[in-house]
Parts: sequence; structure tokens; C-alpha cells
Amino acid sequence: MFTLFYGLWKYMFSKIEFHVLILGIDKAGKTTLLEKLKSIYSNLEGLPPDRIVPTVGLNIGRIEVSNTKLVFWDLGGQILMKSFYQPGLRSIWEKYYEEAHAVIFVIDAACPSRFEDAKSALEKVLRHEDLQGAPLLILANKQDLPEAVSSDEIARYLDLKKLDERVYMFEAVSGYDGMGIKESVEWLVDVMERSKRTEMLRDRAGAMGPGSA
Amino acid sequence: MGLVFTKLFSSLFGNKEARILVLGLDNAGKTTILYRLQMGEVVSTIPTIGFNVETVQYNNIKFQVWDLGGQTSIRPYWRCYFPNTQAIIYVVDSSDTDRLVIAKEEFHAILEEEELKGAAVLIFANKQDLPGALDDAAVTEALELHKIKNRQWAIFKTSAIKGEGIFEGLDWLSNTLQSGGG
Repeated sequence: MFTLFYGLWKYMFSKIEFHVLILGIDKAGKTTLLEKLKSIYSNLEGLPPDRIVPTVGLNIGRIEVSNTKLVFWDLGGQILMKSFYQPGLRSIWEKYYEEAHAVIFVIDAACPSRFEDAKSALEKVLRHEDLQGAPLLILANKQDLPEAVSSDEIARYLDLKKLDERVYMFEAVSGYDGMGIKESVEWLVDVMERSKRTEMLRDRAGAMGPGSA
Repeated sequence: MGLVFTKLFSSLFGNKEARILVLGLDNAGKTTILYRLQMGEVVSTIPTIGFNVETVQYNNIKFQVWDLGGQTSIRPYWRCYFPNTQAIIYVVDSSDTDRLVIAKEEFHAILEEEELKGAAVLIFANKQDLPGALDDAAVTEALELHKIKNRQWAIFKTSAIKGEGIFEGLDWLSNTLQSGGG
């Protein structure tokens, strides 16, 4: 009996760990955003933007917000782009998709010449079945630059039709000065806690038995 | 180049003892990379148990190199070299496509080690100067790097012979360790 209650207790009050994928084409500012996130939410000092090199790999950020653990996976944009240009090459990032609770897609709002690239990359991400139902946060990044366009303008440009039933939001942010980041994280936590995808991922982890999550 | 290295790593660990393992199959170019760092004398030890470990000590950081693969009987002794490891540098001969499968298996086996769970991973897709060398995307695929989900990793194309790519990789590693580790 005790075990039963203990199990229930643990189930209800253990901190859930949410996985958030940070995607976007190269130079969108993904890693800079992640470092800013880390410095806002943890005691760790994030890297200054001038020390950040293009990632061909995985950067991880772990933060805790109101009893919820978030793990951010920042995937390098370079290989991601390569896989868009060379159809034969499967994107290895797709292999991270099925474990993600939500997706952040980062766009350099100050670089209109690459909006087209960003749009096709995002469309490809949205089409992927392993990301079905994952809440989507689209960030119009680099708002600290005078030439940056607003999140409304980005939304209009992207003109996404495949969004249908997906929970999503556009937000203007700056990985440089931190604008919009807290709002973004609060939104993410809120939608992930209520999303069907979270339920689905939890059921799947439960079905595989304890310790496998 | 020794100077670049000093700049990158000197203040990183304070006075804490730190270890960086440089691993890979034989002939991947590990020792050449170690020499490229020009940190000091590479000391080779062949203990009686029979595996060869090369060590470079730089202040409080130990770089240690040995070959993976081969005899399984000596593997338990590797564990002596695992404590306090902050990072693993995995070196792959990108032109040796026949042995990439073994390189992959050895790599994932070492990542399973409990004492190395917290270490960040830097992969060098080495020997880019050779014809037929696979690029970073192809080596990523071959090594199945996507299976790494709980620690930071990055891959760099390098040519140890020409000295290309190594310091870019170490730059990433130093940044990563600085901003919170693996």
C-alpha cells in the first residue's frame, strides 16, 4: 500500500523534464539565445556573444522554471542546411525530433535575404511526422539591431498554412540583450504542460518502463 | 600555437585537477594532434599490463592518449584513467571508411562508462587532407552522433598534419567547459 502511494506521490510531484529543440538556419543566433537563456535562468554565466563559434554539434542548456525542468537542445545550423541542399543526406537532427516536447524556430529578423531559406527550412520541420503536435515558438531574433523587422512582419512573410491545429506563437526577441526571452519561456512551459504531445511522450516513456525515459 | 593553447585553457579549471582524454582507433592521428598542441614533452608509458598511454601535463590539466579497439582483456584497466575527466576528444581517420563501424562501436562503448557521463565530447574528423576523406556531416552520420542526447558534442574537420581545425575545436571545447560543461 505504501509503495502504491509512494508511486503516486512520485508521479504527481516529481519534476517533469521537458525537451525543447532549438532549430533554425545557420547564423540565426540559436547558440547566442541559448547562452542568454542560461544566464537569465541559472547562476551560470553564459558565454559572451563574441566567443560563440558556429556549432556543428549539440549544445545543451538546462534550466528550471517554477518546478519544471527544461532541457534545450541547440542543433547546429550548418549541417541542418547541408541536409536541405543535398536531398540525399538525411538530416541527423530528425533523430532528435521524436523526443522533443516543443520546438523553437529562430529567425534572424535583420536578414530579409534569408527569409526564404528560413521559410523552407521551417516548412520541412513542420511536415515531419515525428514532430506532430509539438508546440511551436517562432522567434524573430536580433531585435537589438535597428534593421530588424517585427514578429508580425515575419509572420506575414512566412504565411504558414500547415499550422492548422498546432499550438504556436510568434515572439520578438534578442539573444543579445535578452528582450522577450522570459515571455517565451513562460509561454513554452504553459503550453507544454497542457499539450497532448506531452501526454503522448509520457505514456510512451511509461510503456517502456521506469528508467528508460 | 602553444600560446593559443595557454590562452584557451589556462584559467579554465582553476587549480582543480582536470583530465582530457584523447581517444580513437590506432592510426587516427591522436599523437600528431597532441604534438600540434606544443604544450610540452609527450611522455609515453607502457605499464606492465600492456597498454600504452601517452601523457602531456599542462599545469593542472592532463591530456592522455591511448588506442581503442583490439584486446578486450586490458579494458578494465582503462578505468584508472577515467576520474576527473572533463572532456573526451575522439579522433577519427575520416579516410578509413572500412573501420568507421568499429570506430563507432568503440566510441559509444566508452560513452557508456559511468565515470565519463559528465564529460563533453569533441570529435575530430581527421585526415581531411587525404583523398576520399568523409566530411563532417558524413562522419556524424557514420558515428551515429545523434544518439548522444545528454551531453554536449561538436565535430570539426581537421588535418593534424597541416594543423587545420584543431584550435577551432579546442576553442569550442574551452567555451563549452567554461559555460557549464558536458
